[in-house]
Amino acid sequence: MTTLDNGTNSTPAPTLPAKPAVSMFAIGTAIGAILLTIITAISVGFSLGEIISNFGRKNSVVEGLLNPDWGQIWSRRSRSAFIETLQLAVLGTATGATVALPLALWSTTFGNPNRALRTLVRSFNNVIRSIPDLLWALLFVTAVGIGALSGLLALFFFSIAVTTKLTSDTLDGIDMGPIEAANASGASLTQMLRSAVVPQILPSYTSFVLYNFELNLRASAVLGLVGAGGIGARIEFFRGRGDWEKLWGLVVMFFLVVFIVERISVTLRRRLI
Amino acid sequence: MKDLDLEIDDGEFVVIVGLSGAGKSTLIRAVNGLVPLTSGELNVNGNDVHSLNRTGLRELRSDVGMIFQGFNLVDRTTVLKNVLMGRLHKVPTWRTLIGKYPQADIDIAARALERVEIIEKTYTRASDLSGGQRQRVGIARALAQEPSIILADEPVASLDPPTSHVVMRYLQQISRELGITTIVNLHFLDLATAYADRIIGLRDGVLVFDGPGSKCDEAVFESIYGRSLTADDTMAKQAAL
Amino acid sequence: MVDSKLRMNLMPTPPHGVELPKKPLATFRWVTTALAVALVWWSATGLDAKWSRLLEAPADMWTLGRVMFNSMEVSKIPELLSAMWESIAIAWLGTIIAAIFAVPLSFLAAENLVGKPVAWMTRQVFNLLRAIPEIILALAFIPIFGLRPMAGVLAIGVGSIGTLGKLFYEIIEGINKGPLEAADAVGASRLQRLRWGVLPQVTPEITSFLLYRFEVNIRASAVLGLVGAGGIGSDLAEALKFKDFGTAGLGLIIVVLGTICVDTISGAVRRRIVSGKKTMLDVDQEASLRVGPMSMGI
Repeated sequence: MTTLDNGTNSTPAPTLPAKPAVSMFAIGTAIGAILLTIITAISVGFSLGEIISNFGRKNSVVEGLLNPDWGQIWSRRSRSAFIETLQLAVLGTATGATVALPLALWSTTFGNPNRALRTLVRSFNNVIRSIPDLLWALLFVTAVGIGALSGLLALFFFSIAVTTKLTSDTLDGIDMGPIEAANASGASLTQMLRSAVVPQILPSYTSFVLYNFELNLRASAVLGLVGAGGIGARIEFFRGRGDWEKLWGLVVMFFLVVFIVERISVTLRRRLI
Repeated sequence: MKDLDLEIDDGEFVVIVGLSGAGKSTLIRAVNGLVPLTSGELNVNGNDVHSLNRTGLRELRSDVGMIFQGFNLVDRTTVLKNVLMGRLHKVPTWRTLIGKYPQADIDIAARALERVEIIEKTYTRASDLSGGQRQRVGIARALAQEPSIILADEPVASLDPPTSHVVMRYLQQISRELGITTIVNLHFLDLATAYADRIIGLRDGVLVFDGPGSKCDEAVFESIYGRSLTADDTMAKQAAL
Repeated sequence: MVDSKLRMNLMPTPPHGVELPKKPLATFRWVTTALAVALVWWSATGLDAKWSRLLEAPADMWTLGRVMFNSMEVSKIPELLSAMWESIAIAWLGTIIAAIFAVPLSFLAAENLVGKPVAWMTRQVFNLLRAIPEIILALAFIPIFGLRPMAGVLAIGVGSIGTLGKLFYEIIEGINKGPLEAADAVGASRLQRLRWGVLPQVTPEITSFLLYRFEVNIRASAVLGLVGAGGIGSDLAEALKFKDFGTAGLGLIIVVLGTICVDTISGAVRRRIVSGKKTMLDVDQEASLRVGPMSMGI
């Protein structure tokens, strides 16, 4: 067996070049993150001990989760709330996604040559995107009134936000060749978008719409918490009565359905791209 | 791999030649157990590779340096950290996890870097190096293991001819000066004859030649390749094309 | 006429009609489209909404907006700002907690690191966690922790494990296998293999996705207060309940501006992390960045 150390270890080790300074950006980010964590932990009164002691204690919520009441499948009211949730998700997605396509196209340089108009569309998208689903619901419930219509309007705006964002990200990466070709053949802006751009993004767009539907299904379950229809109203009702067995029975069942729908949708989406 | 009976002595510089798919890669990876043997016996430094358990295999691998065709460097980290990977087996795990290597190991890495003359790139990201420089880092990583054997799987296949010669010279020099047994896979004839003490020819997993580089003429190569030589088979001629 | 010289007939009418090959039947597409249309039709006719109100909705929203603007009180700003800060704090801490669980779990979900059965099991846990909205989790945590931000932090934390875990294992599965082979060849242990073969390759993407998820979580934490789990949502819900529209409007503006502000800062840091040095990215690593928003769960 041969060894390497003969000859090498007898000579002193060569000195390495001076170590370069660690990038200021990396240090800054790391320190910033740690500081932010400490400050936020103090400001919300975070305590690990509290988590452990609270979970160790007996409480009706966890007990309810362990013994959910499956009887909710047979309750007529729960079932109609369930169906309403599904319908809200479908309609919200269909309407929102339809509006989202032109909005996404108008936020690109090639789809909207007018700079001022483009900035306007982009800012509109940004504002819509920064309002969460439930907040939309709360606003519509206040202005339009309690009921499914407010839920639908909330999901409509929420869908616009999601699909527009995803579609414009895709639009950033498309092949500019066909656009040039369409322009060279004398197409109008709309013709160009329809024939050179839409075919390129259609598979992704469809997949985004499906994904948006998954999100809406989840969101529509909680709209009822603020009075915007769907299954959330039932959840809120059981919560008010402290009936955790029934609440968990309903919630677990609903999310099993969401889980299954999501698996189907994921399979479809894989087929699309 | 059929009926292969080989014995390689300490300090030998062996080149295995054959077409791609001839079994060169499998043979070389069997030596450190990256590819398990289906049958037969393989003895490395007195260990039967076949019968080693996980710990034994790691022990053996730490004594066998390996150089890869695709360099296998972590592109995002520095050259030094890549070379220090060669010390993983010798350093306590907790130290390697937090990245605090003992000075002695850093010295070994520094020597390895100096040997392949790339020490000035110590703190450069691996991704910022040229192909030849990357392979030298690969060699340094193997050297940092202080191995008794070095395996090189097509070490120059992704490099241009002049760089290939540089890399081959480093390998030859290291083998001679440190007495490390070296096994190199190549598919270029001229490189093989230029650097090998001993050439092993493989064809479809069968040994067709085993002898010193000087005895290896074109007729032998034709038996290895199973056809007459073309310009593709020598680096010099291929480069001239 | 000048241009008459330029008139050319490059495609003369063929002497007999040219027949195109038969159009292929796209069954899959037709069936799915028909199903989608049927689903929308069923929903539109079946939904029990007061459709008559739809026409009045824009006017109603306009009125609400006007009332909000007209009754704003500047004195409420500090209180709302500190509530927004609480929302941001909840989002950040929740993201950190999620990361603490998601990073190690994601190693167990990557098929290039563990066996298929283990990876599959871990993924199903992620899928299940991803299906539950944060607000439902908040409902469950409030009776345990009381009407305090802690309930929100845990809701965001548990709710983000699934999404982050999924993203992280996708990143891990996209790594270059070379360094792993090199780690094996030097005799590295499992832990060392992760530390030196995997971690350096995935850290930038994981950090960047963590920030992205933080941006998403701010939106979630802003509404957690609607059910009483802390943050600016509580102030908004309260203001609307007591018809204090001025405060609600101000709160809304602060939510929008605060979110956009954090998005901008976090987005800049993210871009610097992943593409600050463009040369260090392989092509396939860049592709992994493009999966972005959808898997992020915005």
